[in-house]
Amino acid sequence: MKEFAQWLSTTSPSIYIQNNNAWFIPTVQSIHIVGIGIILGSIFMVDLRVLGWAGTDQTLQQTTNRFAPWVTGTLVMMLITGILMVIGEPVRELITLSFWMKMSLVALGTVLTLSFQRSVQKHGAQWEERLHHRSVRWMVVVTFLIWICVILLGRLIAYDHFWGSWSPAAIQ
Amino acid sequence: MDITSFFQSLEATGLATRIRDSQFAFPLIEATHVFCFSLVFGTIAVIDLRLLGIASSQRSFKRMASDILKWTWAAFAFTVLTGVLMFITNARVYYHNFYFQTKMVLLVLAGVNMLVFELTAWRTIHRWDTAPSAPRAGKAVAILSLSIWIGVIFMGRLIGFTTKPGAVVAPPSNENFDNFLGGGAPDSGAPPATPPTAPAPDKK
Repeated sequence: MKEFAQWLSTTSPSIYIQNNNAWFIPTVQSIHIVGIGIILGSIFMVDLRVLGWAGTDQTLQQTTNRFAPWVTGTLVMMLITGILMVIGEPVRELITLSFWMKMSLVALGTVLTLSFQRSVQKHGAQWEERLHHRSVRWMVVVTFLIWICVILLGRLIAYDHFWGSWSPAAIQ
Repeated sequence: MDITSFFQSLEATGLATRIRDSQFAFPLIEATHVFCFSLVFGTIAVIDLRLLGIASSQRSFKRMASDILKWTWAAFAFTVLTGVLMFITNARVYYHNFYFQTKMVLLVLAGVNMLVFELTAWRTIHRWDTAPSAPRAGKAVAILSLSIWIGVIFMGRLIGFTTKPGAVVAPPSNENFDNFLGGGAPDSGAPPATPPTAPAPDKK
């Protein structure tokens, strides 16, 4: 992985970003954070509907349909900005425990969120009947907690010494 | 007591010292700050996009506002709390940082913008509550709101790039933090005797 990261830092897209990184990285990071807001807000609104705490004048399916394009679209945008950051600073991103923990949770969170979203869009009535079930409520809470951990881990990439000797970033 | 000694006394408190000296506290507080702020921005974006008629345009604005804004305020409270906890660890450096100052000004502007909304478009809410978008004043507020909050995000990020945490015990030196705004080698790892009084460039 270290060799791959070091090779990546010698490619021309990476060199371009490194040469312009005074504005490039902060800008891409800021776009990434705007995306976090949009996606977390969207998931939050759907979860509030599941829990019956907001938007109860609409069905779960109507709520999901409203926010689905934002969730899916922003996930794509997050992937793009994420890839740009990895290309720009390969060693900083790839040689940390936080990054890989984050990516594992991103994969898990994406599967959970998108499959729930798609299922509600197809079988809205069935989900509407099950909304009060504890398992459904727990599912959205756990998924939300996963996304919170994604956000925390994203910030911890810059502080990988947080993990002490588990962090590959601290060489000695 | 002038502002510098006030900030010095804040930095010297047990709370600030414990956060500064801890391997875990500042990173976790900052990460929580990002999470809480994402909720602030996300919920505000839902409201603003409704005002602009870009999303949720069939829903009553009053209903959405009453559903959502309490969460916005709760998230904002925790964002401010985590922000203050970070601020006190290195108050003088942040106070003199241009991006921090700009961020604070933008926060005030966001508040003013909200007030303007209350005094203008909100006054006629009964007329446009179920309309697909707000009247012009409401749309202007929405665009300003989104711009200001995106500005806050950008400024917040730049604070991280133009300051070092006021850590008395520096993190391991060979982490890959290129010193890109200042050039040169990463921090040698020698702990500074006192919190830095001048902003030292560090990539975060």
